[in-house]
Amino acid sequence: MNTEEKIIEIKGLTKKFKDVKAVDELSLNVYKGDIFGFLGPNGAGKSTTIRMLLTLIRPNAGNIKLFGKNLNKERALILRDVGAIVEKPDFYNYLSAYKNLEILGRISGKEVSSNRIMEILETVGLKERRTSKVKTYSHGMKQRLGIAQALMHDPDLIILDEPTTGLDPQGMKEIRDLIIHLRDEKNKTIFLSSHLLSEVEQIANRMIIINKGKTVVEGYVQDLLNSTELKVTFEVDDLDSAKQLINQSRWDNKVESFSNNKLIFNLSSEEIAKLNKYFVDNDISVSAVIPTRSLEEYFLKITVDKV
Amino acid sequence: MQMKTMSKLKFVFLFLMFFITVNEFSPQSTDPDEILEGVKEAFTKIEDYEVDIRVIIDVDFLKVPDSEAKLYFKQPNKIHVESEKFALLPRQGLDFSPLGLLSGKYTALYEQEDTIRNIPTSVVKIIPLGNDGDIILSTFWVDQSRNLIIRVESTKKPTGTFTIDFTYEKYDDYYELPSKMEFTFTVDRMMFPRGMDGQADDEDSNYKSDSKTGKVYITYTNYEVNQGLPDELFETENHESK
Amino acid sequence: MMTGLIKIELYKIFKKWRTYIGFIAIGLLVAIIQTAMVFEGQKSLDFMTRNLQDSFLFVGNLLNGFFISYLILNMLAVHIPFLITLVAGDLLAGESTAGTYRILLTRPVSRMQVLTSKFIAGNIYTFSLILWLAIVSLGIGAILFGFGELIVIKSSTVIIFDRNDVLWRFLLAYGFAALGMSVVCSLAFFFSSLVENAIGPIVATMAVIIVFVIVSAINIEIFSSIKPYLFTNYILSWRLIFSDPINTSKLLNAVLILLGHIVLLYGVTAFIFKRKDILS
Repeated sequence: MNTEEKIIEIKGLTKKFKDVKAVDELSLNVYKGDIFGFLGPNGAGKSTTIRMLLTLIRPNAGNIKLFGKNLNKERALILRDVGAIVEKPDFYNYLSAYKNLEILGRISGKEVSSNRIMEILETVGLKERRTSKVKTYSHGMKQRLGIAQALMHDPDLIILDEPTTGLDPQGMKEIRDLIIHLRDEKNKTIFLSSHLLSEVEQIANRMIIINKGKTVVEGYVQDLLNSTELKVTFEVDDLDSAKQLINQSRWDNKVESFSNNKLIFNLSSEEIAKLNKYFVDNDISVSAVIPTRSLEEYFLKITVDKV
Repeated sequence: MQMKTMSKLKFVFLFLMFFITVNEFSPQSTDPDEILEGVKEAFTKIEDYEVDIRVIIDVDFLKVPDSEAKLYFKQPNKIHVESEKFALLPRQGLDFSPLGLLSGKYTALYEQEDTIRNIPTSVVKIIPLGNDGDIILSTFWVDQSRNLIIRVESTKKPTGTFTIDFTYEKYDDYYELPSKMEFTFTVDRMMFPRGMDGQADDEDSNYKSDSKTGKVYITYTNYEVNQGLPDELFETENHESK
Repeated sequence: MMTGLIKIELYKIFKKWRTYIGFIAIGLLVAIIQTAMVFEGQKSLDFMTRNLQDSFLFVGNLLNGFFISYLILNMLAVHIPFLITLVAGDLLAGESTAGTYRILLTRPVSRMQVLTSKFIAGNIYTFSLILWLAIVSLGIGAILFGFGELIVIKSSTVIIFDRNDVLWRFLLAYGFAALGMSVVCSLAFFFSSLVENAIGPIVATMAVIIVFVIVSAINIEIFSSIKPYLFTNYILSWRLIFSDPINTSKLLNAVLILLGHIVLLYGVTAFIFKRKDILS
């Protein structure tokens, strides 16, 4: 379907720790310009996968290609164009932020000038504290420094593992805006691993959910979310009549629960309008339709169901 | 007339014979005290001297560079040494002084005649009396013609027996002083100093048996005799001259 | 790239305060020993040589900068290794503890480059520590005591070296000591690759050294046969340089064995590190 350039191509990736398969025959594709959401519950194998992408861990089987090149064979060439944050950003605490970036810049495979370092520190809002030792930094500051080290050599692929952890809502928004800016203005590809589904939904265009090392579902964000059911609360005046009506209809199996004057259905977005029309056509007065898409519920549902 | 001349001649001849005979068979004294007196007297001619010495040590367990030093001597047995570098000098050989040895009470015995290095010598044994001093027994080989001791062999407690051979030269046409001294002694395990490491990890040991002989050679040059060395000089410690 | 990496690693090493413990410790230790020598040195020297002094007259002073520097080289056989492990043990394990492998090994530099640059930097630290030892020993020694003939008392020989015959021996000896300490560095480095915490390698390396030294010191037959295989044996071979004549084949043998250990330890560490899964 996609004739675009594949930035990440993973085939049959497997990693075993002792007898446990942390990653089990995982395959996925990330295309140029994607903001790719990588989701899964704790222990799903996200971190392991990211570490394999960055050569921190060796896979037992499978193939990884970045920019169309085999990661094993052309590691140095590839990593010049990759910037990453893996889990908690840790630095040389006894050195200043500036010095940390300077050292990392020297081994990033590209020229990272002091101007560039200042520029990136400004972007993440750490310019004022650049000479302070990192050990004096708060978690949020370290997070921002982590983003700085991931971006300073202007990589084409940016891998972000939980980048907004420890940031306040303002900070989170800034990161989201930054990611979108990187994709829109700079044509970067972003691989985003996150627990925050709302975040993924807001900015990612493609995503994968994994669990126990395996793919649960993969596809365009919009498609996946549209194809799922929502929990919709219909507030009605006459609960008994409404119940009676529903029992006799095809909507029966869509009932989740009811209480007081509320009926709760599991519906897809198209079905909401239809059910509403159904009520109205049958003279049931609906005072409110409240779709509550519980993303965590959806997420849990998917992962519990499919595996 | 003939008879008188004949008797005279006979007398002279006999006297000459006697004289020659006496000289032939006992040209020197056999009285040990007399011999030693001769030595002492010869030695008292020298009040003091300073001399350059070169010391070569040939002892199995010692590896020491040759030392050069200046030795000062004043009667009866004052010694002072100065050296530019560190110097290791044998005690007995250095402070050997016949006067020192003979200043106390002793018994001297004449033993025999002996020839050493083609020099005819008289052998005298000296037994110091009294309990002070470490020397138990000494043997001197004396060249009576010059009143010089050619060899000394002493037994000292606790270190054992040592031998010193002297070679002399005449200085200023007057003084006969040692030009060379060869000092031979028994090397005792007792001599060996305590190590610092305690670990015998370097096996460059040449020292196998318990007892061997060691030698020290000293050559003396540039004597300056009877210059009037002050007593204070001998009160200072032997030191490096710098 | 390697020069750049080595510079970075050296910068990291010398920016940590723990690196300076070694230099300060050696400075203090040497100063203390030298001071003690000012007061007690002559006595102990006389004591050591008293037997010799019974038969020989000592003219001049053997208590000089060379003698004390020799003594110091002997005394610091266990102390200096510890100071080396403080830094060497942290080279790899430290990155693990700090979590900085994640920013270091995700860059275009290869693991071998990272490993080798750390190895070299660690050895540069080792050499500079020994250099410091040499400067402080000989320097303070010269100022307080001057130079002179050096007396070396071995198990069955006493050697007195002419003062002009000593300095080059010391230079070689310090060089050899540096080589020996490089083995210690390599061992700590190896242990450092196995664990995530810097304490482990320090303890492990010191344990190995102490056990080896004890085994070497005990004069039981079984132990004697193991002795040639213990590298601690050869670290003390610098003493061979203070011999006359120098047993060059034995010395060369020791050099090769130590070099061999370094190469082996580096090789094994590289093998492990290349394949290691970074989970920290």
